[in-house]
Amino acid sequence: MSAPVLVCEGLSRSFGGVKAVAGVSLALPAGQVTALVGPNGAGKTTVFNLITGNLRADAGSAMLRGRSIMGLKPHQVARMGVARSFQDLRLFTHMSVRDNVQSATETSAWFWQPGGAAARRAREAATEEALARTGLTDLAEARAIDLAYAERKFLSMARILAARAGIWLLDEPASGLDLASRLRFGALLKEARAQGVAICLIEHNLDVVTELADRIAFLDQGQVLAEGEPQAILKDPKLAAIYFGDRGEAA
Amino acid sequence: MIAYLTNLAALAAIFGILASTLNVAVGYAGIFSVAHAVFFGVGAYAGAQIALVLVPDALLAMLVAGLISGALSLCLALPALRVRGEYFVAASLGLQMMATTLFSEWKSVTGGIGGLTGIPRPHVFGVEVGTLPLALAALGLILLATAALMRGAFGRTLRSIRDAESAAEALGKNVAAAKALAVAFACAGAGVAGALFALHMQFVNVESFNLDQSVLIMAMVIIGGTGTLLGPLVGAVILLSLPAGLAFLPFIPATEVGAVQQMVYGLAMTLLMIFRPAGLVGDLSRGKSMA
Repeated sequence: MSAPVLVCEGLSRSFGGVKAVAGVSLALPAGQVTALVGPNGAGKTTVFNLITGNLRADAGSAMLRGRSIMGLKPHQVARMGVARSFQDLRLFTHMSVRDNVQSATETSAWFWQPGGAAARRAREAATEEALARTGLTDLAEARAIDLAYAERKFLSMARILAARAGIWLLDEPASGLDLASRLRFGALLKEARAQGVAICLIEHNLDVVTELADRIAFLDQGQVLAEGEPQAILKDPKLAAIYFGDRGEAA
Repeated sequence: MIAYLTNLAALAAIFGILASTLNVAVGYAGIFSVAHAVFFGVGAYAGAQIALVLVPDALLAMLVAGLISGALSLCLALPALRVRGEYFVAASLGLQMMATTLFSEWKSVTGGIGGLTGIPRPHVFGVEVGTLPLALAALGLILLATAALMRGAFGRTLRSIRDAESAAEALGKNVAAAKALAVAFACAGAGVAGALFALHMQFVNVESFNLDQSVLIMAMVIIGGTGTLLGPLVGAVILLSLPAGLAFLPFIPATEVGAVQQMVYGLAMTLLMIFRPAGLVGDLSRGKSMA
């Protein structure tokens, strides 16, 4: 296993009296898919929000290639190579598919992007490549709001591809996809993994997890209860009981 | 009649600048400011003072007015843009109210309620010129700049923030900086319009820079079509011609024109929001309920 790109230790966050995340440690190695699995309300999305700077952690640390990213703003974390998707996608609904993707390559807030014509051509190439890899080239001029559900999901992936990030945090990327789209999505993820991207995905579909994940971190009530190979985790009857909501039996 | 139409056209161009620049904030970046008249006023007083105290050079007045309005808006935008959506509307409303008071009380600069009078007619390089060509040229330049910016990366950044701010941030965009720049661009434009207005009217007072004016400019943008290049211009022409048009209708007594005008504005806005929520020039599918 290669050295982890992102290492979180003891991440904690409470909302009022509720501990949403309580001491989560997680390491994401390059070229591996780590799945965050757990029942609803386990704190999975909160872990993403703590890493990306959308939420401030009460305690704990997150190191990206040896540098702390705690206290950074979301756009600063993104510029360091952490890309994320959202469960509700958050596409730029009234922009064209191409503009959605191209926008992911443009991080300067200034009136123009740095780097001149060569950089512009590189951004355009990254845009076209992301469109091609997600099968959206023919829909490039359509508006995001007019896309079918599966295409919207792939557009959300195309933005991440175009951002050329080394770490992907994907929040339920395969939910609601039909089998054919799921296979396409799987191929996309495997390709990125082969290219050395460190991927962390939150996923409820255990078939997807079994097929794609190299490791699983099982979260419940804000804590990592178990971490390891998918087969070992998914076969654990106690975890299965928690996952399927039968806590009485698990206790 | 020619003079009347020239006057109307110059005002339409000035309000076209105001509506087009507000549209950069509202239509592209989704920043709903009801304080655009504040920066119109700042530009007008700055332009008037340049003409009164220094030289009546229109280019200098527009440049200084644009710079002051843009810079001032940046100081105010940076803290105010930390709040989102409806909270920013409230913050801009507060700013508008403060500014109206300041405009009426800071007599040494604004002339108080009585305003500034005797502003000389505009000159360019020492030659007296009409406001209409100046206003049209400024409008043309601002529209060109807006079109170029909005077609490019900056426009994409603003629209991405408008559609999904958190996703734009997650893609590495400094949302606060982009919004502040959009506001500064819009307010610098309002400042230029203010200087033109002062030189055109040769008189300015607080009445032209109050909340009613801000709402009128917002109405121009919404009626014409937010997020379109020409929509705000269409809105400005329609809302400025409306009182003139109503004045020509024989069955409306001259004393009632103001009241009828308010009724027509209100009715037009309501009907438009029902039948063409994206404005006259706007994209038909935008703004409609998806249900």
